[in-house]
Amino acid sequence: MPKKSIDLSIEFCGKTFKNPFLLSSSPVSNSAEMVARSFDAGWSGVVFKTLNSDRLKITHPSPRMNAFHYGAKRVVGVQNVEQISDRPLMDNLADFLYLKKHYPEHVLISSIMGFSNDEWAYLAKVSEDNGADMLELNFSCPHMCIEGTGHHVGKAFDLIERFTTTVKNTVSIPVIAKMTPNITDMTEPAIYAKQGGADAISAINTVSGISEVGLEDLVPKPNIFGIGAVSGTSGPAIKPIGLHFIADMAQCEDLAIPLSGIGGIETWIDALEYILLGASTIQVTTGIMHYGYRIVEDMIEGLSDFMAQRGVTRISDLVGKALPNLKTTDHFDLGRQGVTQYDLDKCVGCGQCYIVCTDAAGQALEWDAEKRRPSLIEDKCLSCMLCSFVCPVPDLIAFKEMPVTWNRAETQVMDKHLEKEITLEPFTKEGPNECTC
Amino acid sequence: MSYADNFSKMQKGFDMGQAIAEADRCLLCHDAPCSKGCPADTDPASFIKKLRFRNVTGAIRTIKTNNILGGACGVLCPTAELCEKECSATGIGQPIAIGKIQRFLVEHAHETGFEVVEKKNQRSEKVAIVGSGPAGLSCAAELAREGFPVTVFEARGEPGGVLRYGVVSYRFDMDFLAAEMADIKKLGVEFKCGSSIDSQNKAEDLLKNSYQAVFLAPGLWDAVRLQEKKDIKGLYGSVAYLEALRDGQLDAFAGKIENKTVAVIGGGSVAMDCIGAAIRLGAKDVYLVYRRSYTQMPAEEDEKIEALNEGIHFLLLNQPIDYVLGDDGGLKGLKLVRTALGDVDASGRRSPVNIEGSEWVLPADLVIEAIGNKADDQSPAWYPQVKLNEKKLIQVDPDTGKTSMDGIFAGGDIVRGPALVVNAVQDGKVAALAIKAYLSQKSEE
Ligand SMILES: Cc1cc2nc3c(=O)[nH]c(=O)nc-3n(C[C@H](O)[C@H](O)[C@H](O)COP(=O)(O)OP(=O)(O)OC[C@H]3O[C@@H](n4cnc5c(N)ncnc54)[C@H](O)[C@@H]3O)c2cc1C
Ligand SMILES: Cc1cc2nc3c(=O)[nH]c(=O)nc-3n(C[C@H](O)[C@H](O)[C@H](O)COP(=O)(O)O)c2cc1C
Ligand code: SF4
Repeated sequence: MPKKSIDLSIEFCGKTFKNPFLLSSSPVSNSAEMVARSFDAGWSGVVFKTLNSDRLKITHPSPRMNAFHYGAKRVVGVQNVEQISDRPLMDNLADFLYLKKHYPEHVLISSIMGFSNDEWAYLAKVSEDNGADMLELNFSCPHMCIEGTGHHVGKAFDLIERFTTTVKNTVSIPVIAKMTPNITDMTEPAIYAKQGGADAISAINTVSGISEVGLEDLVPKPNIFGIGAVSGTSGPAIKPIGLHFIADMAQCEDLAIPLSGIGGIETWIDALEYILLGASTIQVTTGIMHYGYRIVEDMIEGLSDFMAQRGVTRISDLVGKALPNLKTTDHFDLGRQGVTQYDLDKCVGCGQCYIVCTDAAGQALEWDAEKRRPSLIEDKCLSCMLCSFVCPVPDLIAFKEMPVTWNRAETQVMDKHLEKEITLEPFTKEGPNECTC
Repeated sequence: MSYADNFSKMQKGFDMGQAIAEADRCLLCHDAPCSKGCPADTDPASFIKKLRFRNVTGAIRTIKTNNILGGACGVLCPTAELCEKECSATGIGQPIAIGKIQRFLVEHAHETGFEVVEKKNQRSEKVAIVGSGPAGLSCAAELAREGFPVTVFEARGEPGGVLRYGVVSYRFDMDFLAAEMADIKKLGVEFKCGSSIDSQNKAEDLLKNSYQAVFLAPGLWDAVRLQEKKDIKGLYGSVAYLEALRDGQLDAFAGKIENKTVAVIGGGSVAMDCIGAAIRLGAKDVYLVYRRSYTQMPAEEDEKIEALNEGIHFLLLNQPIDYVLGDDGGLKGLKLVRTALGDVDASGRRSPVNIEGSEWVLPADLVIEAIGNKADDQSPAWYPQVKLNEKKLIQVDPDTGKTSMDGIFAGGDIVRGPALVVNAVQDGKVAALAIKAYLSQKSEE
């Protein structure tokens, strides 16, 4: 067991979670039987699979999902067309009561999605009345088969505010608004949610995408009896998108409410990255769909050990800790430049570095066919680092800073004589340094 | 180049990249068969999963809390017969290299200084351990972790048992042993080396000398010999030969072996160490003499292949019957008789039957007998009240390591006969648990 002095517990919307790791709303949180097992495995709370009011019958398309494999790496992403819960409301609420009775220390968050003010209010109230500690408003499913729901709401900011207000006027438990990533700037809808009274924001739901097209029948997958659709992509492939939106919202001074990070989390490192960029809880679906609830053990142990080694005792001390180092690109010091350096003792001679440097970078490598080794012409190295990405040997290629006096060689021009034949007038107009279109 | 260089270091293991790549191949099975295959419950399924999810420290913790000699086992376990045997990945290709991952993680802990092993509350009851081989070390570490003051009595100059004075150092080197020993010493275990518990009643008397419980793990350090005629110049038992190689006498042996013909008798792992050492000491020809056939040899498959590739001559279906001496009384050759395989014997293998009239002499300057280790002839006197079997092995309750005498426990090779490091580790753990229960019960009374 990790050292006991480490405190992974965290306050979120007035509730104490014994660790920041939650199930997100999805098949992994579909029933109390499942959620109970997840709690036993170590998860601190659940956002239950989005409730339905029974007004409309929910039928999931079949098959529901398609996996996005990359080479031998399985499930880099998942494409799903699953709808909100297809269980009767009574069943879900009975499961709420069960969980609150048997797991009173774990946090139960009810995810809801309505089609009208009244329905949002109704679902909010039954959730609160049957033990939910919080609500999560699902403004973000990208593939509801019913018009006017899910991310259609999430893209119509006034609806976000209106539905949030309705819910807040109905219940007294905290309310989280779950955002769709299928927009450009998330701070805007988040602020609408805040104006409606939201206590926190969670993000992201799935990213609209197409993972694969069947080459036999030319139907995008999942293939629902001959028809494919743009639908929700999740998993490791979307982590960069999730991190970006969480960081944006964390840096938005007008927003300033707690964040729950979601998207592609599998390891304690993924979780910590969300936390360092401003999330105080994190949620997981695809990681569990791939590996099961057991991954939380390694999130707990890995994060605890990291904290012990860094001398950090409370997880809350890490929330947002990377934000001061996250700035816009205009803050870069372009006066400082570097190149790669090669530790060729470790080289196995595959030559992939040579290929990518030649075809996609600075032509800064020469290839000794006899010895099967690259050699670097430092002055031509762009420091794009492509070679280090493809190198199969860890730590063989590293970055090193060059003295300020050093200059990179210009890219080769094939035939300097052709300059005489160029047709151009030099651009001389004075102008601003930023785009004013 | 000194021959010592051939012995100083074992082969490099995995680095982080290789370990992660290998862990990535793991199928992360439900109800993982590998973990069931480990005799010491090291739980490979857990530590590989932890590595897979970048919980490197946790992976190390799993290994070291379950198996204090996790590094030694990673290097020395015949994994193809244990954890890797039932690996599900075999169904789609190769089993996961579990031993190598395990070794890497332990080496990584030593390199990064990550310390796992924590001590619990302090207990007052003192425990004595006889023998610092894997069984003694495992029991000592487990008890020290539980807070008991532990003293290990070791006859030889340094602790480690077979790990220190048996296995050839190119398979398990001093630095690796030292790093793993440091984990145990940090727990506060006291070592009394050069301190043999080998006179009348001495082991039992420990109970009278302020120790509340005793764990016996002296291993098997007498070589089984072919015949009484042992004091022949050029004839060695495997125990003495291997021990000498690990006790600073490499160069002396190189002088005797260089450019000579060496015959090693036996077909097990110990014989493999003996032939491997001989070839590394510059022998001209090394013969492995074995009375059955290739497939009946108890040595592991990869050891056998490696030996063949190192240029060892396998003389199968040959039974040694006598030594041929020169005028000076020194060894000149080994008299053999050819055998044929007969019916299946008690060991489940077809037994060798001598072919009459087929005797012949293999010229040899040195012969090393590696036909088995047994309990010290004198050992029954050390613990006269402890029940033994006809081979002088100590009889215990397998679930607790309890001997017939109250307060005395035993484990490792002295109980099982020649077994494995990982079995000895498990015996030490089991006995430690039982000793804890025994002492707790005693203090209640
Ligand atoms: C050459 C060789 C190679 C092997 N290779 C492998 C391998 O690759 N993989 C594997 O899993 N197993 C291997 N084994 C088997 C493995 O080493 C043993 O099963 C294991 O070491 C048994 O552990 P133990 O603690 O019972 O005894 P030992 O390791 O034999 O340790 C016993 C210790 O007790 C000490 N001792 C004896 N009598 C006394 C006394 N009276 N007082 C105080 N101290 C005493 C001894 O000096 C010794 O240090 C090998 C064995 C040999 C001999
Ligand atoms: C099959 C599936 C069903 C989902 N159902 C819901 C849902 O009912 N409500 C909801 O808010 N989000 C739902 N999600 C989105 C997830 O909660 C989560 O936001 C998203 O998958 C990104 O996280 P991940 O990369 O950990 O999977 C679903 C995701 C998947 C893959
Ligand atoms: S995972 Fe289970 S429910 Fe899903 S398709 Fe396979 S068998 Fe059916």
